[in-house]
Amino acid sequence: MSVLTIAEAAELIAARKLSPVELAKTHLERIRRLDPQLNAFLVVTEDRALADAKAAEARQMSGALRGPLDGIPIAHKDIYNTAGIRTTAHSRLLQDNVPTRDAHTVKKWADAGAVMLGKLATHEFAFGGPSFDVPWPPARNPWNRDRFTSGSSSGTGAAVAAGLILGGTGSDTGGSIRGPAALCGIAGIKPTYGLCSRVGILPLAFSLDHAGPMAWTAEDCGLLLQGMAGHDAGDPASVARPVADFTAELGQGVKGLRIGVVRHFFETDNRASDATRAGIDAAVDFFRKEGAEVRDITLSPAADYHAVGYLLMIAEAFTLHAPWMRERFMEYGELFRDRVSLAAMMSGPDIVQATRRRRVLCREMAAAMEDLDIIVSASQMGEAPRIDSVPKWANMEKPSLTMPFNVTGFPAISVCTGFGVAGMPVAMQLAGKPFTEPTLLRAAHAYETAMPWRAKRPAMAG
Amino acid sequence: MPVPPSIDEAELAVLLKRAGLALTANQVKAILPGADIVQRMIARVHAPLPREAEPALTFDVEQD
Repeated sequence: MSVLTIAEAAELIAARKLSPVELAKTHLERIRRLDPQLNAFLVVTEDRALADAKAAEARQMSGALRGPLDGIPIAHKDIYNTAGIRTTAHSRLLQDNVPTRDAHTVKKWADAGAVMLGKLATHEFAFGGPSFDVPWPPARNPWNRDRFTSGSSSGTGAAVAAGLILGGTGSDTGGSIRGPAALCGIAGIKPTYGLCSRVGILPLAFSLDHAGPMAWTAEDCGLLLQGMAGHDAGDPASVARPVADFTAELGQGVKGLRIGVVRHFFETDNRASDATRAGIDAAVDFFRKEGAEVRDITLSPAADYHAVGYLLMIAEAFTLHAPWMRERFMEYGELFRDRVSLAAMMSGPDIVQATRRRRVLCREMAAAMEDLDIIVSASQMGEAPRIDSVPKWANMEKPSLTMPFNVTGFPAISVCTGFGVAGMPVAMQLAGKPFTEPTLLRAAHAYETAMPWRAKRPAMAG
Repeated sequence: MPVPPSIDEAELAVLLKRAGLALTANQVKAILPGADIVQRMIARVHAPLPREAEPALTFDVEQD
């Protein structure tokens, strides 16, 4: 069986042409065969998966399917609490941690009928990686196992690209969904801040953390997001508003959409590779030819957004981890402990000033988007580097182009735009106004369905 | 953007100790390159803000 998208599998399941049990067994076999080369999974929950699949199949046969996620094989980043199943954050500090309750979003997917295959590799506490000094090895990129997946949702990126699962959870504090989506050649959406509950997800930085889905296509991301979004009084940032239909606008094309290209982000502020820039240019041409109004826009330098986001991220992370870092410093991997230790340099006025500047940047982006629907930029600067040559300070030295949308909380999706000189995926990033995910997914879907990139899987995926 | 002062190992060690982190001299030395980057980020967020940034900025000492 070739790897299906969630939309395809859901249609077959609804038509009783695909057995959820057979689908689960197929993916468990793929995990057994391929994951030893990828390290995407920390735990495979075979018994749970088969029980979930049997329950889905019973609903299928009785005409009681719960929706498009019923019977779909998924897995969770290992910072999402799963009741009775080890949740480690890929860290020695939590290697024996077994939660008693599911994260809010884990429960929502389970209630929707999704079949959980296991827990996925992450950078340690969603920040330190790729690390070789923590209890489990880092996930490898299925397009080339010597290459980096990016992170921190590294296992989800690898597992989706290799077809081990059809979708999975990620979290995104500075780009941790969109980075691995870009380098693994899949789609990943960081929703609007407050759209998805973070209850039961190990935090990195509470004012920047977002929960969201990753999948092969934008359409699948929409289906998964539908199962995650919604108000949760347990998360103070959760927004009480009706949940949109995230796939409602798919198929409407981009005619009439107003699109701004933040060209200075990826041409001068942090110059992307030739293939990345060519992919964005081709996408912009596509949008224009399909009837979108496209123009370049200028925001503050990406370094301004990056400085605000990075400083607040390490300050908030240190606030959370300080008790352990003071007592159990060497139990963390080197990358996490060294990066977060730098928060010690920050004074109170530094944090207040970063917060003030964040407010200015939020206003700037809101003003820039008043007469726009979509902002186009890069997700990553190029193809995946070798996994053994990622510098310790790589995520600080040059400004991240994903961080602006964590600082502002605006939704953003990474979409594959082809392949570079090394044969590895490249990507673009589309961002929208708060709570306009349906429009964002509509533009991403229009692009994906017009281009050939979704037809090509990593060679190892078969 | 003002050029930030560079930070040396001794100063960084003091800041880490004040935060309750007991790093060895070698560990402090290992994070010094990252400290320089953070120093530049701190300088960047301290660049002058527009008056509309927030109400706390409604007063400035008048200077020539």
